[in-house]
Amino acid sequence: MSKNDDNAPISAEQFMKELRRYQKGSISRRHFLGVTGLGAATAVMASAMPMLAGAGRAQAATIGDRVSIATWPNYYDPANFEQFTKDTGAAVQVSVFGSNEEMLAKLQAGGTGWDVFVPTNYTISTYVELDLIQPLDLSRLPNFNEKYYIKRFIEPGTVNGKVYAVPKNWGTTGFVLNRKKVTSNPTTWKEFWDLCKTDAKNRVMVHDYQLTTIGNALKYFGYSFNSVDPKELADAEKLLLDVKPHLFAINSDYQPSMRSGDAWMSVAWTGDGLQLHRDIPEIDYVLGKEGGELWSDFYAIPKEAPRVDAAYAFINFLIDPEVNAKEVHAHGYPVPDNRTTALLPKEMTENPIMYPAQELLNALEFGAAVTLTDPLRAEIMARFKAA
Amino acid sequence: MAATQTTNGPRKRVTAMLLLPTTLWFLLLLVMPLVVITVYSLGERAPAGGYQPALTLAQYANLPARLKAFTNTLTLAPLGTLICLLIAYPLAYFLALKASRRTKAFLLTLVIVPFWTSFLIRTYAWIYILGGRGIPRLLEMIGIEDLRLINTPTAVLIGIVYGYLPLMVFPIYVSLEKLDKSLLEASNDLGANPIRTFFQVTLPLSAPGLITGSLLVFILLMGEYLIPALLGGGKVFFVGNALVDLFLQSRNWPFGSAVALTLVGIMLVAITLYLSLLGRQRRHQDVSIL
Amino acid sequence: MPTQPNNSQDVDIEFRGVTKRFADVVAVDDVSISVERGSFFSFLGPSGCGKTTSLRLIAGFEQPTAGDVMIGGRSVVGVPPFKRPVNMVFQHYALFPHFTVADNIGYGLRQQKPRPDKQEIARRVGETLELVRLDGYERRRIWELSGGQQQRVALARALINRPTVLLLDEPLAALDRKLRQEMQIELQTLQRDVGITFVLVTHDQEEALSMSDTICIMHEGHIVQIGEPRQLYDDPINHYVADFVGKSNFFWGTVEEVNGAVAAVTIDSGLKLSGRLPKGGRSLSPGDSAAIAVRPEVVLIGRPGAEALAATDVRAPARIKNRIFLGEQTEYLVAAERLGDVLVLSSKHNETVTGRLSTGDSVEIGWRTESTLALEKT
Repeated sequence: MSKNDDNAPISAEQFMKELRRYQKGSISRRHFLGVTGLGAATAVMASAMPMLAGAGRAQAATIGDRVSIATWPNYYDPANFEQFTKDTGAAVQVSVFGSNEEMLAKLQAGGTGWDVFVPTNYTISTYVELDLIQPLDLSRLPNFNEKYYIKRFIEPGTVNGKVYAVPKNWGTTGFVLNRKKVTSNPTTWKEFWDLCKTDAKNRVMVHDYQLTTIGNALKYFGYSFNSVDPKELADAEKLLLDVKPHLFAINSDYQPSMRSGDAWMSVAWTGDGLQLHRDIPEIDYVLGKEGGELWSDFYAIPKEAPRVDAAYAFINFLIDPEVNAKEVHAHGYPVPDNRTTALLPKEMTENPIMYPAQELLNALEFGAAVTLTDPLRAEIMARFKAA
Repeated sequence: MAATQTTNGPRKRVTAMLLLPTTLWFLLLLVMPLVVITVYSLGERAPAGGYQPALTLAQYANLPARLKAFTNTLTLAPLGTLICLLIAYPLAYFLALKASRRTKAFLLTLVIVPFWTSFLIRTYAWIYILGGRGIPRLLEMIGIEDLRLINTPTAVLIGIVYGYLPLMVFPIYVSLEKLDKSLLEASNDLGANPIRTFFQVTLPLSAPGLITGSLLVFILLMGEYLIPALLGGGKVFFVGNALVDLFLQSRNWPFGSAVALTLVGIMLVAITLYLSLLGRQRRHQDVSIL
Repeated sequence: MPTQPNNSQDVDIEFRGVTKRFADVVAVDDVSISVERGSFFSFLGPSGCGKTTSLRLIAGFEQPTAGDVMIGGRSVVGVPPFKRPVNMVFQHYALFPHFTVADNIGYGLRQQKPRPDKQEIARRVGETLELVRLDGYERRRIWELSGGQQQRVALARALINRPTVLLLDEPLAALDRKLRQEMQIELQTLQRDVGITFVLVTHDQEEALSMSDTICIMHEGHIVQIGEPRQLYDDPINHYVADFVGKSNFFWGTVEEVNGAVAAVTIDSGLKLSGRLPKGGRSLSPGDSAAIAVRPEVVLIGRPGAEALAATDVRAPARIKNRIFLGEQTEYLVAAERLGDVLVLSSKHNETVTGRLSTGDSVEIGWRTESTLALEKT
């Protein structure tokens, strides 16, 4: 059965594929677990490793027998983690999360035991404000060198002149569409939202995430993605309530529905766009001309990290260009480190989904801290969902 | 007297010691959190999310903002319970009273087997069954076009019935299994046909299982969020989903606490009403005939 | 042992060649009986003999595999229990735990069409309670009653519909001995008062003997013997019946000769004993295996050479192994020469003649041949 034949019932084989994808925690970069409330699902990797690790014995004495990281699903190369364990004797414990809010909630509650976590750009200042994150001693991260990094993606890691986080990956928020189903050629967020009520009625998904859903609804009117202006937000809410009856779903786990053909369009992140396009060529990833979100993720160390030495060692290992390139091969998100990008094949660096045209990128905005924490935006999202 | 006193003392102490873990468990995991969320519900959301102390009823005043979640929950939870009951009872009846030993073992295994797989994965499977290439596609083959199931209240109901049916089947099955079969013969012998026997003997005597099953399913459904999230596509919103959002997304702990406490309150009222209604019915039954 | 049905006017229940098979077990095998109207009829036998199945065939809980079951002259094959004019008292009473005493008893009336009005039901429930001497217990719950009271509620509940036949499935099995004896009398009285046919199933021979007009002894799905209690006691047709009804000493051996109604049997010790052939039993032939059955009460006991033993045909010296004082009677177990262990039941009167006998005493026992039976095994 061809995977393009979306009218045919799903085959057992295909279902198992989807299921395995789910079991690996790779359904979507964010949110699947958030939506299902299983954010705390923790995968303990190589817990028996210290016993087996021969080479790293000597170093194990210096950094300890383990390191714990909180990150997103499908956002790392397990082989790299195994390599780290082999080199240092420290086993890597992974906690996979669904949303920044959830990560923040966990850290606020305390007692996480994480040594490294992966915050998104707009959350870092909040972590600093709440005193949950520690400044980085860059001398302990010899692999980090500012001059090789794209400046735009370093900046959010610095708060009040202190560096709290080093860049991991970056990406965009656009939308995916199935060209076989949607024959018009939408290039803007205005067209995206209008299609919800017309050609793609009952076939559009939006994120269960206020930042992107409200942000892109604001773009319909040409407002800032980050607006917290009550009047502008009121317009966005009106639009959202207007399209809600015609939406297929409000769910950040859009890959399965896009793959099955149930959904024809969805707000989407770079990596998902890449994966969908790779498997089903007629699914395209589009950045709205009006702009939208540009984001970057960072490595950082929580204030309460129990194994700081291991944390530095682990971050330094992961931002080694060779290692980092392997990471990119595994998850498909671009890296703001030129040394790493230079190691990537052309198919990747020339891929417009991973590296969109500069004029499209120029229109994008970083999400702001206030965008995430604004109570009105949270409330509008809740009203939209509960409507 | 002296002898009983000396044996009573240690016995009481042993009883107290045996009850200690339960008591601690209750205090720690039930009473304490309840106190905490009560305090939270009277507070305010901190600027960056979370809780900051205050003494205000503002959170409760804001409850109407989640009205839809409450009405969804309060219609779909009882409806789901009722449908579960209507499907589970005949099944349990067949298992307990009609099936041969071998069939019974086989069917009970079938009821239990799904538990070997994570509930999440099973519900996930329903996304495909109810999705465009599942049941609607099969219905298209027999000429029923354009039926949308996934992300509708119907899909949520189907998921609920699927997920909670065993919880309803087992208590009913147990109470029917315990039922003295000679009571049914006695009723039959005294001139009651099978239908009258069912309503006069079988049903009242299986009521404990029926009540247990209904309460179990209803209480769990009131807090359900996984099925609406997965099969409702975020469009069929339960109080449980509102709570997940409030605590994990907008991190409005005080409002979340107020919503949670309100849900607990509604459940208490609903269950008390249900039980007292049943109680009245049963008392009524005792004296009904003469 | 088919019994020819009488005039159907006088017969309430009739089995015609009834067979009931469960999978590969034959519970009732080609049984034909007829139960006279207004009589007290008992099925007697050990568990698994087919007596309960027979009762359930009458009630309608089972349908025959072959043959015909008739109630009041009409075939009821295929008629469900709730349409049959019979009611049953269940072994463990099967009272409805969610009803009061009155609601239990009135249950049958409430199923009738048209349904009697409340006053009528209340009146008849009161009447029936009086009949079983439980007036005033209307509002009690079942679990508040003693076993005997529950028994009476079960009786009242079954009687209130005025059935043609009342079926009783081991109704007294759960009661203690004293209560059981009281209830036996009460049941008999009740049966005379209400005048309907009672069919009882029991494994207790004393119960059957004391209450029944007719007893049907069953064995492995077959009828062994049907008759009045006295007849079964005096003339059991074989060892099985004799063993089941009352106590007997059995001396096994081989039939030597049959002379009219008396058979001579050489028992295993070489001793030759004679016994009467029972009326209605099959005749024995020389060479058959048979037992001489001697009831304990026909065995006389006395000091060696006692005068009382002079008139006996069989005499043997013996030693008392055990003595059980039963009040009016005393039961001795004696070891007799060439006879083995023999059970003797002696009246109190006898003791005034023989004097007090104790364990270990040497005695003589004996009996008259006319009081003994020669029986085939089954």
